[in-house]
Amino acid sequence: MSIIKKLALVVVSLSLVAVSSVSSAKPFSPKKPVELIIPAGQGGGADEIARLVQGVIEKNDYASKPVIPINKSGGSGGEAMTYVKKKAGDEHTLIITLNNVLTTPVNQPELGIDFFNDFTPLARLITDTFLVWIATEGKNTAGVETFDDFINLAKGNGLVMGGTGSMSEDELLLGMMRGQFGFDAKYVPYSGGGAVAKGLVGGESDFTLNNPSEQMGFYQSGDSKALVMMTPERNPAFPEVPSSYELGYPDLEYYMMRAFMAPAGIDAEVEKYYTGLLHTVYHDDEFQTFNIDDGKLMSWLEGFGLKDFLAIEYEKHGEIIKNFN
Amino acid sequence: METVGFLLDGIFTSLQWFNLALLIFGCLIGLFVGAMPGLGSVNGVAILIPITFIIPPTAAIIFLAAVYYGAMYGGAISSVMLGIPGASTAVATVFDGRPLAVKGEAMTALTAAAVGSFVGGTVSVILFTLFAPPLAEVALRFNAPETFALMVMAFATFVGLGGDDVPKTIFSILIGLALSTIGLDLITGKPRLIFFNIPGFLHGINFLVLAIGIYGIGEMLWTLEETKGKVQMSKLSVNMKEVGRAFGALKKTIMAMNIGSFLGFFVGILPAAGATPASLMSYGITKQLSKNSKEFGEGVPAGVVAPECANNSASTGSMLPMLTLGIPGSPTTAILLGGMILWGLTPGPLLFTQEPEFVWGLIGSLYIANFFTLVLNIALIPAFLMVLRIPFAILAPVIFVLCVTGGYAPTQSLHDVWLMLLFGFAGYILRKLDYPVAPAVLSIVLGPLAEKALRQSLILSDGSMGIFFDVSEKPIAAVIMYIAIVLLIMPAFGPLYRRLFKKKQTA
Repeated sequence: MSIIKKLALVVVSLSLVAVSSVSSAKPFSPKKPVELIIPAGQGGGADEIARLVQGVIEKNDYASKPVIPINKSGGSGGEAMTYVKKKAGDEHTLIITLNNVLTTPVNQPELGIDFFNDFTPLARLITDTFLVWIATEGKNTAGVETFDDFINLAKGNGLVMGGTGSMSEDELLLGMMRGQFGFDAKYVPYSGGGAVAKGLVGGESDFTLNNPSEQMGFYQSGDSKALVMMTPERNPAFPEVPSSYELGYPDLEYYMMRAFMAPAGIDAEVEKYYTGLLHTVYHDDEFQTFNIDDGKLMSWLEGFGLKDFLAIEYEKHGEIIKNFN
Repeated sequence: METVGFLLDGIFTSLQWFNLALLIFGCLIGLFVGAMPGLGSVNGVAILIPITFIIPPTAAIIFLAAVYYGAMYGGAISSVMLGIPGASTAVATVFDGRPLAVKGEAMTALTAAAVGSFVGGTVSVILFTLFAPPLAEVALRFNAPETFALMVMAFATFVGLGGDDVPKTIFSILIGLALSTIGLDLITGKPRLIFFNIPGFLHGINFLVLAIGIYGIGEMLWTLEETKGKVQMSKLSVNMKEVGRAFGALKKTIMAMNIGSFLGFFVGILPAAGATPASLMSYGITKQLSKNSKEFGEGVPAGVVAPECANNSASTGSMLPMLTLGIPGSPTTAILLGGMILWGLTPGPLLFTQEPEFVWGLIGSLYIANFFTLVLNIALIPAFLMVLRIPFAILAPVIFVLCVTGGYAPTQSLHDVWLMLLFGFAGYILRKLDYPVAPAVLSIVLGPLAEKALRQSLILSDGSMGIFFDVSEKPIAAVIMYIAIVLLIMPAFGPLYRRLFKKKQTA
């Protein structure tokens, strides 16, 4: 044990030295490693982006101290948000968002999270969209070629939808579609988009509302196909999939935002530093290529624009939740 | 024969000096993170992912897979030497590994762990090489009802143990199940059992917190009381006779090796299960089927081989759904999957044809990694044994510190450290009252998996339990369920059969 331990300690300490470089002389720069809180589990969409951001920063030495992703997935993001709320004024904590930052404060009022006063929004980097997926050889969806075919089928039959967990984005979307198209489905929650995709191809569910990257492997292999993408325009990663606007359903529009926030009560200098850092990451070639290939929309937003966007989204989600219940 | 060509290519890829150096380096890091309580393969791989951006994907996966692999071996070291599970995958190794060390047979325990790991790893990588595509199909057909049936079988193996006190075992299982329901409700998304509104309960009870508490702290309290601090662990000579004895003891563990290798691999390829449940189930089933099942828990080599074999086998198995279906078979492969996406690969059905160098490089490296970790482990046994020379008065505080850091590391919350101390004390009391604690540990691991699968199945069947028993609709689920029921009631009828059998013999 002891020899191994010593060897590995040397290794670990060497790599720590390697990743932390000398701090620069900017007005603000982190004095210790920055915690990047992920309000979701390891291996999910937010986790993937957080680790990509960490990797891009480290590889190019964009920051003087390393960024350390920490998953706090409890309570639909409630655990992460409670943690960041308590860190008010802390200059070395960031949080990446899923849409659960918009829904959890409403769904779990007992946590006492005030979305508008407990966080300092920094920037939105990416928006992810959603598609309606069916299995190419789905036994209950045989013969479905278009989204309209699907609606007609779903109205008459109780289809099974696989989703990523109760009150998550895709269940809210199902609620939206129920209102718009008058069909309902049996919602079966899985743990994560990958398991949802597998449940579809394995024949346990009839359709899913997954993000592009979650279904990409089965899409490329031809095991599942998309009927509609919930955006105004087609996406170059899925050239043959029509947008909801084309099909005449402009109300079917929904996005998952990948934004970063800091705790409340930080100095303007600190806010400026992190926004600048994220801006550098955003314009990094590797970051751009990776996300575009993955079917994501690059959508930088900061300052007042971001604040307006968040206010509108917060209200929209409150409305969806109200209708859902 | 095409496969052989690909495999040879893969082995050659992993033998290139750069890849080989990374592989050995990865194994060493893995051994370390595995042996350190609280640091497991999940943390190890997550911490190292950013480093892999600067090397080619094939080298990156070889490196990280070696870390994953090494951790499976490393976990056993602290389980045996300190009685604290080094990683969640090595909890079942404590059950018999620790008693063996206390009896003065640490050498046997460590040898059994290393050889068991090697056998499990090798069998599973051969299965992987030969049957990857059809097995991916099996994993695809293994859905919620099948998973629940498998979980019932796992519980049945623990309840059905003839030797233990059945009511006390059931009590222990129920405690574990109750603890596993704390946290987020999967179906409604609402927090459950958040005592006194303490936010720390929102992430549920981490299974390592319970295991480290019970085995680390609880065991230490027990030892202190038993010996009043005068612990003597003798027989430290490492000579050829000892080595021969250690290998000789392995002859009786052939069955454990078979169960561990095949069951571990099978559980590994099922999504979301992974090496921890595999090792616990393998232990339970080996104990159930063993002729001397009553000796399990008191220090038998088979009790070390079964979980160690299974955790290596399962970690290889869990790479199968990761590569072929793009879904993680274990928490560690979830991180690896994220890594693959970041390296620009799309895991899924096409990966084998689009990126043969990557896939076969990984498979080839598993053969090599297995061999190197075995050699490293056997060679380092004398070094590990030196831990036993440390006086208990020094070792006990070290164990205590390791327990505290181990409880803190997975979630980085002090809340969990307090919980761990509480569990340690509770575990000590349970042990004084002669309750088995292993079933509680098993059920806190399997509880959430079982609950999720049960509730998913019942949503699909509109609340009918028939979904688990319908042979024509869900043959796999039904068959497993019936086997589970037989396992559950077998001990009750065992004595009856024996009596009937004996009568026939005498008649």
